[in-house]
Amino acid sequence: MMKQQGWVKCAVSISAVLGICAATAMAATQASAGSGPQKADRKTAAVVAAPKADPVLLEAMDTELKRAMADLGNGVPALDPRTHQPGPPQPRPYFLSYAVADSESVSIQAQYGAITNSAGSRQRIADVQVRLGSPELDNTHGDHRPSALTTLPLPLTDDRSAIARSLWYATNRGYGRALDALMKVKTEQQVRAKEEDVSADFSAEKAQAAMLPAAPKLSIDTTAWEGRLREISAVFRQYPDIYYDTVGMQTSNETDYFVSSEGARVESPNQVARLVVVARTRAADGMDLFRVETFEADTAGHLPDQKIVLEKTVAMAKNLVDLRSAPITEPYNGPAILSGRASAVFFHEVLGHRLEGQRQRGDEEGQTFTKLLNKPILPTFISVADDPTLTKFDGQPLSGHYAFDDEGQPARKVDLVQDGVLKTFLMSRLPVASFAQSNGHGRAQTGKMPTGRQGNLIVTSSKTVTDAQLRDLLKAEAKKQGKAYGLFFEDISSGFAVTTRRSPQAFQVIPLVVYRVFVDGRPDELVRGVSIVGTPQAALNRIVATGDKQDIFNGECGAESGTIPVSAVAPAMLVSEIETQRQSQGTARPPIVPPPPLSAAPQGAATPKGGR
Amino acid sequence: MPYAPLKTVILSAAKDLLLFCAAATLCGTLPNHAQTPASPAANDPLLIAMQQELAREKELLILPGMQRPYFMEYRLEDLQSYEALANYGALTREEQGHQRVVRVTVKIGDYATDSSSARGDGSLQLAPNDNDADALKYALWTATDEAYKNALRAYATKQANLKRFQTPPTADDFTPAQPITHIEPLLKLDLDRAEWKRRLIEASGLYATAPEVKSFAGDVQFSTANMRGFVVNRYTVNTEGALLQHGYSGYAANISVGGQAPDGMQLGRENGTTSTTSAGLEDWPKFRARTLRNLKSFDDLRHAPVVDAEDYHGPVLFSGDAATDVITRLFIPNIEADRPEAGTTARTQGAFQSSFRSRVLPEFLTVVDDPALRTFEGKSLIGSFTVDDEGVPAQAVTIVNKGKLENYLVGRQPVKDFPASNGHGRAAPGQAAHSRAGVLVVHSSAPVPAAQMQAKLLAMAKEQGRDVYAVETLGGELAPRMLYRVSADGKRTLVRGAVFDELDQRSLRSEITAAGDDPWVAQTIAPIPQTVIVPSLLFADIAVKRGTEEQQKVPYYAPPTADTATN
Repeated sequence: MMKQQGWVKCAVSISAVLGICAATAMAATQASAGSGPQKADRKTAAVVAAPKADPVLLEAMDTELKRAMADLGNGVPALDPRTHQPGPPQPRPYFLSYAVADSESVSIQAQYGAITNSAGSRQRIADVQVRLGSPELDNTHGDHRPSALTTLPLPLTDDRSAIARSLWYATNRGYGRALDALMKVKTEQQVRAKEEDVSADFSAEKAQAAMLPAAPKLSIDTTAWEGRLREISAVFRQYPDIYYDTVGMQTSNETDYFVSSEGARVESPNQVARLVVVARTRAADGMDLFRVETFEADTAGHLPDQKIVLEKTVAMAKNLVDLRSAPITEPYNGPAILSGRASAVFFHEVLGHRLEGQRQRGDEEGQTFTKLLNKPILPTFISVADDPTLTKFDGQPLSGHYAFDDEGQPARKVDLVQDGVLKTFLMSRLPVASFAQSNGHGRAQTGKMPTGRQGNLIVTSSKTVTDAQLRDLLKAEAKKQGKAYGLFFEDISSGFAVTTRRSPQAFQVIPLVVYRVFVDGRPDELVRGVSIVGTPQAALNRIVATGDKQDIFNGECGAESGTIPVSAVAPAMLVSEIETQRQSQGTARPPIVPPPPLSAAPQGAATPKGGR
Repeated sequence: MPYAPLKTVILSAAKDLLLFCAAATLCGTLPNHAQTPASPAANDPLLIAMQQELAREKELLILPGMQRPYFMEYRLEDLQSYEALANYGALTREEQGHQRVVRVTVKIGDYATDSSSARGDGSLQLAPNDNDADALKYALWTATDEAYKNALRAYATKQANLKRFQTPPTADDFTPAQPITHIEPLLKLDLDRAEWKRRLIEASGLYATAPEVKSFAGDVQFSTANMRGFVVNRYTVNTEGALLQHGYSGYAANISVGGQAPDGMQLGRENGTTSTTSAGLEDWPKFRARTLRNLKSFDDLRHAPVVDAEDYHGPVLFSGDAATDVITRLFIPNIEADRPEAGTTARTQGAFQSSFRSRVLPEFLTVVDDPALRTFEGKSLIGSFTVDDEGVPAQAVTIVNKGKLENYLVGRQPVKDFPASNGHGRAAPGQAAHSRAGVLVVHSSAPVPAAQMQAKLLAMAKEQGRDVYAVETLGGELAPRMLYRVSADGKRTLVRGAVFDELDQRSLRSEITAAGDDPWVAQTIAPIPQTVIVPSLLFADIAVKRGTEEQQKVPYYAPPTADTATN
């Protein structure tokens, strides 16, 4: 369940393929957390029929929800078994919802030219949400948000009575937990000082009715994909200094069903396919270096061609080898360019997360932007929107697309920052002082309470120049500041990826590929070990110009409400000042013995499935 | 230096005839370190790749100025599993898995003192499911590098730690073993999935469909049936020259039903059938009957009175089923030799660390662990094995002879007075090997027919002029599930809400007054397959108390009926 507020991890670029958690136990039956496609728990295998348009499931949810609303807290108070006196009357829920994620997924992983795992999974998981009290103050108040949620697997087949009984079991348990939490909330309210933000706990929204076509049956040529993954990961056989690689492909087709006591009735599909290539090396001095390439689409068939993936993989491998021997950075305080991709990750981490509605209330939250509403937070030529209704940008698929959020609200475009001025936050149905309504951004992984999250974060600029001009501007700015060079951040990653999960690095960024761009016209020089000093959002105010092309970053993002797919789109940007230092590096030696020599026989000859 | 511990092996083994015999065969050929001729099956490409990489690492793996490993072991595990689960008459989960993992052990130092710690030493890597020798070697290479670096660190830490203590460790860290080649046929996962799914679906739905039980369907809050099958095939090579390919399989089907008594007490019945093959599991009529029995006994429990509020101290008859749970929890962990904490003079860990040659059970009981026992009364035994996971042939070990503790179960990590492995080094998937039981049998020299056990209990009731207790099954923490109050005239009343007290090693030693002729076979598949065979046991004095678990509210609203669900 959800951790304490304030606990946050974000992995926009890296999925848990980095973790080798699967090897720690009976891996075959272990789910590895946080890495699957949205809502698809990556447990292995599954052999049951695919999701389809499913009136039985939706009808059973609807019927059982109505029965629960009619019966819960409505009967004669139960007799206390000890005193044989009627107990206090039980409250009726003011809100009850059933959200069912019906998903089918396939996950394949390869390392060093061979498949390490290949499995399919079929799941139906119900999230039952029970709210007691009133929208103004309910059992979810403060730290008690998880008390509303009970999660249970549902029958995979359309067995109406088994579905109904499963929902009853979860609802009954959920009601008990909600009662308990409501009592605690009321007690805490009496003993604590008045809260700074006295917003209600649940917003009033119009119930939605929408029946979008269910996701089609997942169709994937597993054997062909295993062959592709072998080939991609075999690239690293040519690079003896890269001591770890993994290539993962995950795809899931999911249909989400949502019914609520407010009358909502929504069915909407979600499809995602993701290919992730990760490689790591270590410099002779012990510095750990890694790179990640992700490719995203709605279906596996829409992922890029093998040729493109192989090219990117080779480029990444070469870059890692170059990084091993690149000079270590020196402390620097001066101008820098963030590439479009780096800029997209930067905006997602540094701005997007801090604009999530729930971060504006609560004792534990930073509330960086709470008081800056309608004030400039960015240069006037920058605007930022989050638009989950977009399926594509510039012809490229966007992972953060959805039609309805996980509270059954329609997705909509939200103008977060207009001409540099902060206009609103990413809102779920958890109100904050400045906003009482959801704007369709209540998102969660199955099994978590939705909170305000990003979908497709789109950064636009009205002050654009070509890449070449941006470079010239960088050199000019460096010269002006008396620097021999400016920095070019080609790729950055989230802090989560390389630090311990609970460290305060959340929403920070780790530069992965950084070049020195010399004022005197020398060729650019790759450096390693760059880390950004101080609060990175300071850099947002120092954007002086942007590129004229927007770049897309698709990935997974983890926070309190779980791991969800997101996208960020941004142009390259030139900042007048960014302070960097040498990052603390690892101390372990590179491998002592060289990697085992490759056998002469053609690879894959011993592989029953072939694939190369 | 590597052979120094040998002297210790022979000398201390001579103190004990039984052990000496075992050790003599072991030591006779040890100094040769001869290459065992590879059997035909030993040219499996995976084993060959492992040997090649091991040889290469043995030659090259050294950090300048540091020690080379004195022992390395590669273990490749191929894990296949299948699991299905049904609730309320519908399938909710079906999973299959196939994963390979390599575990690399690297030891620095020597047999007397090395880098090993209580957690075990080694590192894990995912291995290719493809039979790709290059990728397998690569995974081994990565794991070896990590294991070696960890071992160097652990060795330095351990040396520093040992310097803090006045007394040296009471035993060596590792014992040599004769390298053997042992190749068993590969095991395959074999079960009729469609049929088992059908059974699980039907069994989990019986609460609402079977005429015998459906009258109380509304009181059944959960009804779950699940089946699990798995196969572990292991390939092991080490620098002593051992070459192993062996494995094990386990299949289990369980049924779990439950709910609450009217006062809110949580009640459940959960049990099942376990075997080494799917064919060895209960057939459908038996599994169905088990399900109905569970449902009826759940209903019986709901209507049963709560156990007396005041404590009871007196005779309790444990069925074979209940007695296996007692032995498994209170006895077995204490005879599995684990290295004691550094700096102490203890022999092992647990309650029996200084009980060698002392009486730990009544004189009429003898306990033997014999992994070679493959079947018992027609049941194939899941804890059976030929060679343990450290490459030592399994041996029958008499742990308790006429009540006295004569042996511990020992792997290749010796303890004081037990310098050699007796073939009980066993590893859970991905884990280091530890000393673990295989097929543990408790025998009585004076078995009492079951009916007479009952008579003895009633006689005690008469003699003491009060009701006594008999327990059929236990739950997790040795809490009684099916507990009967028995009056002198033989009347049995099911009671609920009881816990035992004073059920401990002392009561095992002093309170068992009779053992039945009705051995019960308990089989557990995880984390390490184990079979425990124990007859019913009559304890003279155990405390039965009312439990103090908090009572949850009964359901806030009624479950759906078949009618409401279809409306």
